[in-house]
Amino acid sequence: MRFLKPGETNRRNAKYSHQSVSVAIIQNLVVRYGNFTALSGLTCEIPEGCTGLLGPNGAGKTTLIKTILGFVKPTSGSATVLGFDIQTAGASIRQKVGLMPEQDCHIPGTTAVQFVAYAGELAGMPGDQAVRRAHEVLDYCGLGEARYRNVETYSTGMKQRIKLAQALVHGPKLLLLDEPTNGLDPAGRIEMLELVRSVSHGKGLSVLVSSHLLPDIERVCDRVIVVMQGQLRAQGTIRDLKKIEGRPVDVELRENSPRFVQAMMDKGAVVQPPKRSTYRIQMPGLPEEIAKIAMQAAKESGAQIRGYIVAERSLEDAFLEAISAK
Amino acid sequence: MASPIADLTYRNYDGPLEPPVNRWWAIAKMSMRLSTKKRGFWVWSTFSCFWYGILLIIFYVNDTLAAANPMGQQVSLLKGLVWKDQFLNAFSESQLFLFILALLTGAGSIANDNRAKALLVYLSKPCTKLDYVIGKWLGIFIPITLVTTVPAVVFYLYCLMSYRSYGFWSQDPWLFVQLMGMVLIPGTLYASITLAISSLFEQGRLAGAVFAGVYFISYFVTLLMELVHTQMTMGGNEVPPIVNNLFYASIDGLQIGMLKIILHTNGSPKFPIQLGQMSTRMQVPEPSTFLFIPLFLVICAGSVLLAWSQIRAVEVVR
Repeated sequence: MRFLKPGETNRRNAKYSHQSVSVAIIQNLVVRYGNFTALSGLTCEIPEGCTGLLGPNGAGKTTLIKTILGFVKPTSGSATVLGFDIQTAGASIRQKVGLMPEQDCHIPGTTAVQFVAYAGELAGMPGDQAVRRAHEVLDYCGLGEARYRNVETYSTGMKQRIKLAQALVHGPKLLLLDEPTNGLDPAGRIEMLELVRSVSHGKGLSVLVSSHLLPDIERVCDRVIVVMQGQLRAQGTIRDLKKIEGRPVDVELRENSPRFVQAMMDKGAVVQPPKRSTYRIQMPGLPEEIAKIAMQAAKESGAQIRGYIVAERSLEDAFLEAISAK
Repeated sequence: MASPIADLTYRNYDGPLEPPVNRWWAIAKMSMRLSTKKRGFWVWSTFSCFWYGILLIIFYVNDTLAAANPMGQQVSLLKGLVWKDQFLNAFSESQLFLFILALLTGAGSIANDNRAKALLVYLSKPCTKLDYVIGKWLGIFIPITLVTTVPAVVFYLYCLMSYRSYGFWSQDPWLFVQLMGMVLIPGTLYASITLAISSLFEQGRLAGAVFAGVYFISYFVTLLMELVHTQMTMGGNEVPPIVNNLFYASIDGLQIGMLKIILHTNGSPKFPIQLGQMSTRMQVPEPSTFLFIPLFLVICAGSVLLAWSQIRAVEVVR
């Protein structure tokens, strides 16, 4: 995993695009609101599966979603979504894409079934199919019992679910979720994330989740795209993003042991100061080889190893590094 | 024993999808469904036919009495009646109710969508701004047009079957065609104006209040000009053209003017009683066709354009 400098394009990261089919390819996309540049030459690919779109507030995440859907016209650059050009085939894209917007939105005066079936009809479903599918999707989203209630009487959690239902009703190939857990309590948040995870894995549906809540992204997504100031800063799998250069390992001892540290240093390892009784050790070689050396050092120093894992940083650390990369 | 298989996990939709064009009909259908769900719609629709009902009773009683009189048909009120004016009068009497219907169906059409941010739902589907405006416009136009059409056609058919001997057919054989043009006017104007006003607000009630304000303030101008016209006519004075033109400078006046042009009449007294030459002169004359039709079209098109310009899926901060 490497981070991109501001303005650098994603050509060097093209290896990721070969690993899976891209549902969207974005090249040098520039979007300006008057004098303000929201997207500044963004180039990236959204692969199949569940992808997180990360970035601080104002990074350009929502603008990217709006541009993909044709709400905002790009100043320059190009993009294709599911093989359709965003400049010329906006309607075809919107027929194959489902959007769950960040804000509460509904059709006033309708019940949940009417609302979701109507969303289906707007997407091009025949009326009878739309109604049947609305019942199915509402059941799936956990609103089966409340399907005949006016949407305006729904709680925040229910409104989030119905937004998901209206986005799913026409069977989109790509689902765009803008802050899907906004305003949800912890239980509701977990339920929503489970829903997102289940639709995005093994169902032939790709999902792009825009959020600045890293735990949410980590829970549901396999890959991430990090944007900052309208430019791509990093992209790849979460596992890659969390990797630490040099692949250090964390060795947990029963108690702190300066003799173990000395023994490891004698074998050529760099040992960082312990966190409780866990030492981060870096040395050349595969993790399996380092494990053998650590076992040897423990035997020599009389230390007792309780745990051994390849060290990785938190997604938060990786994200902060990506957005602060100069 | 085999148990039923129930796959409760998400399944993708693989049924038919129509091409991503012309979504306006789905929008119009939903708008009409929501309008006709309101009880008020049916109540005010029924009230809007009341003048046709009164006319039918008068005609029926008069005809029945005339049949009992040996000289009946010669002295009947129906003799010498200008039939097309009865449609004009019935429409004129129903205007307040049509205004209420426009308020019910149109005032909140875009304003409530703005409040609920429904445009994000519409425009994230394969709908264009044009689909949305056309759909919303039809959602107001069709119900109002049906409310004006149904009683007019019923009344026409009743008169055609019962009063041909009083000149109903011979007086104006093209009346039905004229009526079909006439019934489109209120729906067209109300749909355009309410849509424009509604698009400017984020609360249906606020849009309704503004629409009502525009309606009643302009109606006051029409009433005032009618009063001036009547006074001057009764005083034997020539009415200046400005008075006659200002009479049509309201939502009601615009419709009456268009109806007079389509029916090609100046109108006659509301009750089908002949009050002599004076009562006919007291009617405000038909406006100029060449000025009035373009004006009407500009107002309607301008209103729809205003609504169209207000529609945005997202707020673009500049």
